Amino acid sequence: MPRLIDTRRIPWLARLILLLLMVYAFLAAIELFKNAIGMIGQGAADRLFSGLENPFAGLAVGILVTALMQSSSVTTSMVVALVGSGELELQYAVPIVMGANIGTSITCALVSLGHVTRSAEFRRAFAGATAHDVFNLLSVTLLFPLELATGYLRHGAQWLVRALPLEAVGGEFHSPVKTAVEWLAELVQSCVQRPLGLGEGKLLAALLAGMAAAIIVAALVVITKNMRVLMADRIEQWLNRVLSRSGLLGLAIGAVITAAVQSSSITTSLLVPMFGAGVLKLEAGFPIMLGANIGTTITALLASTVTGPAGLTIALVHLLFNVSGTLVFFPFNFIRRIPIRLSEKLADLALRNWIWIVVYLVGVFILVPLAGILIWR
Amino acid sequence: MFDWFTGKGETGGVGLEKMRTEFGQMLDAGRHAFDTAANAFLGGTDVEVIRQDLFKTDKRINRAERRIRRQIVVHASVHSAAQFPACLVLMSIVKDAERLGDYGKNLFDLAELAPRPPQGEHRDALVRLKDRISDSMAACREAFDANDKDAATELIVEAKQIEDLCDERVRGLVRGAPPDAMAPAYVLAYRYFKRVSSHVRNVASSVVQPLHKLDFTSKITSEDAAREEPPQKETPQKETPQKETSQKEAGQKDATQKE
Repeated sequence: MPRLIDTRRIPWLARLILLLLMVYAFLAAIELFKNAIGMIGQGAADRLFSGLENPFAGLAVGILVTALMQSSSVTTSMVVALVGSGELELQYAVPIVMGANIGTSITCALVSLGHVTRSAEFRRAFAGATAHDVFNLLSVTLLFPLELATGYLRHGAQWLVRALPLEAVGGEFHSPVKTAVEWLAELVQSCVQRPLGLGEGKLLAALLAGMAAAIIVAALVVITKNMRVLMADRIEQWLNRVLSRSGLLGLAIGAVITAAVQSSSITTSLLVPMFGAGVLKLEAGFPIMLGANIGTTITALLASTVTGPAGLTIALVHLLFNVSGTLVFFPFNFIRRIPIRLSEKLADLALRNWIWIVVYLVGVFILVPLAGILIWR
Repeated sequence: MFDWFTGKGETGGVGLEKMRTEFGQMLDAGRHAFDTAANAFLGGTDVEVIRQDLFKTDKRINRAERRIRRQIVVHASVHSAAQFPACLVLMSIVKDAERLGDYGKNLFDLAELAPRPPQGEHRDALVRLKDRISDSMAACREAFDANDKDAATELIVEAKQIEDLCDERVRGLVRGAPPDAMAPAYVLAYRYFKRVSSHVRNVASSVVQPLHKLDFTSKITSEDAAREEPPQKETPQKETPQKETSQKEAGQKDATQKE
């Protein structure tokens, strides 16, 4: 497909302006999405999200939607808007966010398939790529039941929100960012509503939600592509520094790169050719992936600047979940080795028979979540 | 902090420049290794004095090669396909630079193994060749840094002449009737000199030639020869540089024939 715009050829000032505009469009689209969901009406919203009352269904939705979108940022920012609108309860949103973490790792695994014709290289690349998946799966396996039993993520995030001075003015949430984007969301709404002569209802809500979702995806794509180009030299320097080292530096670099490009898939996919070529050891690349998991929560936090305390709470749940996973698997070497060893075993299986690749990718990211949705909803 | 927005990222120039700088340092180290080892062989330096320095230099070159290769993989992963040719060129010539260190070590071994230091006409010829090669290594670094096509072209011609001279000397030694205890050492020395010059030529070719023609410079050397060669002479292209060289180095050639 021919490119409409070659993002590499845009001058830096234009790129900077474009970036700011896209961040603005992204936030306005979150506001629009939130308003659109609010328009559906409580009864209809309850019916729409009733299937998510089962946390396993929520988890499955999170995995499937994110795997199909290949972006956890899109899923989490829309969940933030849904929770911010008050139509989706926080406890039902938590499993979706956890599922999004698993779903996003499919991109990295798909990238590793590019090495499939060279066995040694493929083993390294696939093991490197799936270390991210395995870590996310293990994190969910460990923390999902814990959250169901204790609600520690929800309570922790709620405590953090209460601790923040958000309700200083008249007991209500007053975000300057929300004020700045509100008019644009209202303008778009009236531009759709008036010519079509639609009253506030399900049809208008569906139109606006669809439009907002499209803008969110488009804005994130443009932001990610531009930031990747702008950051390329810096990313190269940082990655060169961590090639032969593991530890906190890799963790920090993974978080910063991902926060900057707003996509953990970009960060982890960059590592795959390095794993494949053998210049990056799995032990050195693993902390970068953990950092990417933490860095990717910036998008939901950014989205929460227009949704109020409820949206911020689910964004913080996302952050706390990834920080928890890192705290479990990063500090101790023998625990850190678990996801690394498992991913190496998985790569060995994949090398022995390609059917395992299909079983793994289609099974974990498509069939199991799909079955989960059908069974648990 | 806003230097991210200066557009450097759009060319990938920073990473590539860093690798080129490291590569330049490899060339310098290669020249140092060659000069040191050649001086030891030619009798100017005690081998024990330079042993440690030479082996450390070679290790430094080898480390730099591995480092540049790693950086190339990172660079190619981060940047777009537009950066691939530059990465592939570096991947190719970094091997040439690494070989300079290896030939330095080979010359050093020769200095240890040779029954005595070179003498007479061969010593003079080797000293002249060594100076020319050393100069061409320095010129290669400059041409590479400045991306100077003219200088690189001159260098390719010069390197080819040196290689032809070395071949001529080897032929003279192999075909020469009177046996000499130093003959094997001379043959190896001329051979090593030729290889060093050849690797310098390969590096220079990266400035002039497109990627797929790296190391292949026969057209450049024959074009240059054709400009200087009298048109009435009908000699095969392959032989032209040798003849030209022979004319330039007539004194040396005569001396070899006399041997």
